[in-house]
Amino acid sequence: MPDRLYFLLGDLLANAAVGAAAGVAAALAVPAGWNMFAAMVLAMVLGMALASTLAFPLMRWFGAMEVMLPTMLGGMLAGMVVGMQAAMAPLAGLTAACEGAAIGLAALAFCSYVDRLLRTPHEALD
Amino acid sequence: MDTATQGKWDRTARIFDFMTGRGPERRWGPAKRRLFAHMQGRILFLALGTGLDIACFPPGQTITAIDISPEMLAKAAPRVAAYDGDIEARVMDVHELDMDDASFDQVYTSCTFCSVPDPVGGLRQLYRVLKPGGDLYMFEHTGSRFFPFNLMLHLMTPMTRLIGPDLDRPTVANVRAAGFEVRAVEYVYLDVVKTIHAVRPAP
Repeated sequence: MPDRLYFLLGDLLANAAVGAAAGVAAALAVPAGWNMFAAMVLAMVLGMALASTLAFPLMRWFGAMEVMLPTMLGGMLAGMVVGMQAAMAPLAGLTAACEGAAIGLAALAFCSYVDRLLRTPHEALD
Repeated sequence: MDTATQGKWDRTARIFDFMTGRGPERRWGPAKRRLFAHMQGRILFLALGTGLDIACFPPGQTITAIDISPEMLAKAAPRVAAYDGDIEARVMDVHELDMDDASFDQVYTSCTFCSVPDPVGGLRQLYRVLKPGGDLYMFEHTGSRFFPFNLMLHLMTPMTRLIGPDLDRPTVANVRAAGFEVRAVEYVYLDVVKTIHAVRPAP
């Protein structure tokens, strides 16, 4: 398989899977009726921790930073959004997984967009 | 010799190829090939690791390659032997280079200054052994200027440091702090994975 297609499919798979896992974990961890802000923070930390764990085996196949950064971002956001919803009302596992996967893919799209913007020679600023 | 760092990389040598030999190398290979295509003259390369980068070297070069880990270099030996050119692989700490001043035309680094304990001190050693006007070419991952990437890299670094690199190093600023003149920085992924071309200014 050409590298471009291999990494495109790998990125989509990795980010959807990690986002879905973070969403399900947030829905399971946050009971309905919790303080919404506390639920968001807890679920965000949970999503990030889960994403950083799941990213390690995926990095072996699909790249290091290219996997770690979008999946961590997606995990954080999926945990935060799904956790907030779970605090308001009970959330079905499938719904949490689908929302998490969508957020994971959105995080990938964001990272890819920023990457495109930066992909020109730059004066070093860091 | 920094035995703590040496021990860390000796332990990591066991899983290094498994973790990085497929995805990361395949992803970064084209950028590394473009960078290493500049090789000419007397070359110092660090850190050789298990020698995965050798596949990206142009043939016919004469290269002195160092690494702090004997276990890494033991794994690199078949790749060193198979290279179509000359590679002299040596165990050495970048903080204590035993080469003469101004003895290399070019220095190359590959994912090295994410792990060197005193990066500016190490870069000053590279400055010393590089001829005036000589080139420093680096393939490195660094910290990011942008939120939320910088936050994530800072948060991950205490964990990744246990088995390998820091993720939040300001390597371009370190290169400048060591006295080099930065000529070009190209981003390979976000502003995190990048190539750096710097020179030791001629007097």
